[in-house]
Amino acid sequence: MPNAALHDTKPWDTAVEMTQVSKRFRQKQNGDNVLANLLHPRHKTVDALKEVDLTIRRGEFVAYAGPNGAGKSTTFKLLCGMIGADSGRVRTCGLDPLRQRIPLMRQIGVLFGNRTELWWDHPVLSSFTWKKAVWEIDERTYQEQFALACEMLDLKHFLHTFVRELSLGQRMRADLGMMLMHRPQFILLDEPTLGLDVLAKRRMIDFLKYLNREQGTTILVTSHDLDDLTEMAQRIVMLSAGRIAFDGAPGDLQRRAGDPRRVTVVCGATPALPGCTLLGSQGERHTFAFDPGRVSVSALLSNIARLPGVKDVELSRAPIEGVIAELYRNWREEAPG
Amino acid sequence: MAGKVKRLFSLWAHYAKMDAQWFAQDTGMFLLVVFSETIANFAAVTGLFLLAVRFGGVGDMSVDEMLFMLGFYTLSTGLVNMMDGGNALNISRRVGRGQLDHCLIQPLPLWMQLATEGFLPVSGSAGALCGLGFLLFAAARLRLAVSPLWVLGTVLFVLCSFAIQVGMRYIVSLSAFFHPAGSEEISAVMGGFLSSLGYYPLSGLPGWARAALNTVLPAGCLSWLPTLILLGKAPSPTLSFFYPLFAVLIFGAGVTTFQKGMKLYAKRGSSRYKAMGHRS
Repeated sequence: MPNAALHDTKPWDTAVEMTQVSKRFRQKQNGDNVLANLLHPRHKTVDALKEVDLTIRRGEFVAYAGPNGAGKSTTFKLLCGMIGADSGRVRTCGLDPLRQRIPLMRQIGVLFGNRTELWWDHPVLSSFTWKKAVWEIDERTYQEQFALACEMLDLKHFLHTFVRELSLGQRMRADLGMMLMHRPQFILLDEPTLGLDVLAKRRMIDFLKYLNREQGTTILVTSHDLDDLTEMAQRIVMLSAGRIAFDGAPGDLQRRAGDPRRVTVVCGATPALPGCTLLGSQGERHTFAFDPGRVSVSALLSNIARLPGVKDVELSRAPIEGVIAELYRNWREEAPG
Repeated sequence: MAGKVKRLFSLWAHYAKMDAQWFAQDTGMFLLVVFSETIANFAAVTGLFLLAVRFGGVGDMSVDEMLFMLGFYTLSTGLVNMMDGGNALNISRRVGRGQLDHCLIQPLPLWMQLATEGFLPVSGSAGALCGLGFLLFAAARLRLAVSPLWVLGTVLFVLCSFAIQVGMRYIVSLSAFFHPAGSEEISAVMGGFLSSLGYYPLSGLPGWARAALNTVLPAGCLSWLPTLILLGKAPSPTLSFFYPLFAVLIFGAGVTTFQKGMKLYAKRGSSRYKAMGHRS
């Protein structure tokens, strides 16, 4: 590859450009019959992505969501040049990920939540100096990014600790810090909050928002925690069975999913509430779902006030996880094939 | 080209520093590694050497010639071990464990990563140093007429032996792209096969076995054949030309099969991943 291509840093406006991208995988299917598996191995074809169109502009903070097997990781691998598409066109920061992997890797940062780039049997700091050497990061950029990572991710307490001895939260922070050393303009994070406790997750989310807001870093992040995603991102792209089922603002998603509410009534016997569906009872706590478009809150509260022996009432929004799960179920049922 | 060479050396320098930091992380670790590596390298060749001493040589090789061959073997396999940190040469492990993804996010050509990332010149140098010691000691006892050309030839043949070992590991590792779980260890198995047979003189074997062990499964090319050439005992002088050519062919075949495998990897990816630090 010519040197010019190795160091190509042309300006780009579009971080991700996927046009009609499809990717299929073959999966082995084994049964209980050993002989049959041996002589007639069976496979099935899985469409990880089906004619996906996706554009992400510079500076966007996009959440990429979907259930297991929806095609999130496949998309990430395509964007990083780890695998190629069966059909369609993929461009990351204006570059072909497969053919221009090296210049691309100078511009982007990648972090897989369940995989570490840190050197396991070395102190954390060694991984940072390794990154500096391999990415050929100039001293000034390195020092600025190092100071930023240490401050925002609170790394200084374990810089000299061996990676194998870090907690998961510490490791994720160190991984994130290291990923930023070359000041990537576009970062891809696959499940960065996986397994983190509340505090570690909070710190990670705040830092990502800071990067997007203050440094203009384009971010594409996946997570199973939709509350995190809706809090972080300005735009949510939701995959279902290899297709984009939703692409819009978190508010739009909420509107599309409706505005289901919950009401919990604490009283002796299970009450009957017109227009509400009983979700479950635990002792004296009875939880109902209702649609405020059909049953007004004031009418509902009037009905509850007339019930005998009511000790308490709680109103809340339905958890986003449940709402999305319902959407996925609907999308799967609607999907062709 | 000059830029690539410079980059290679700068990366080797960095990995050498990291290796030194790992090796000298504490006194206990330092002493343990030095002790165990030295014992292991002596033990690997002592059995055959003692047999040679007991019987005044093995096959048509004298005790000192045997020592020369064992030195050559320990030096070339020691070099392989010195470059194999984090399974850079046991490549089927990286392929089979789905760890190539880690390589693909570095802004370096894959060959450059694999040629530098496993460099362990401090903690992994015991074999090469022991081998060099055996070789020099045997050369002195054999009163070899050491000329600059002979030294160059020896260095070239050691590199050829290294290239054959690496090439064979990469050739068989192609299967890991097809069957990651079943072939995860195949490069280590090939390495083990070559090194366990690589220090035996093959002179007493039937012709077909000698031919097989110098071509299809080239254990004889690790040290026996180059030793015969260097000691002037080769059956044909043309072998000093064909031996390096064979090494280039094997190494080239290794590179080609790996490139084919990478094309398959780009198509299939890896559905398998083993964590705990991808350089383990």
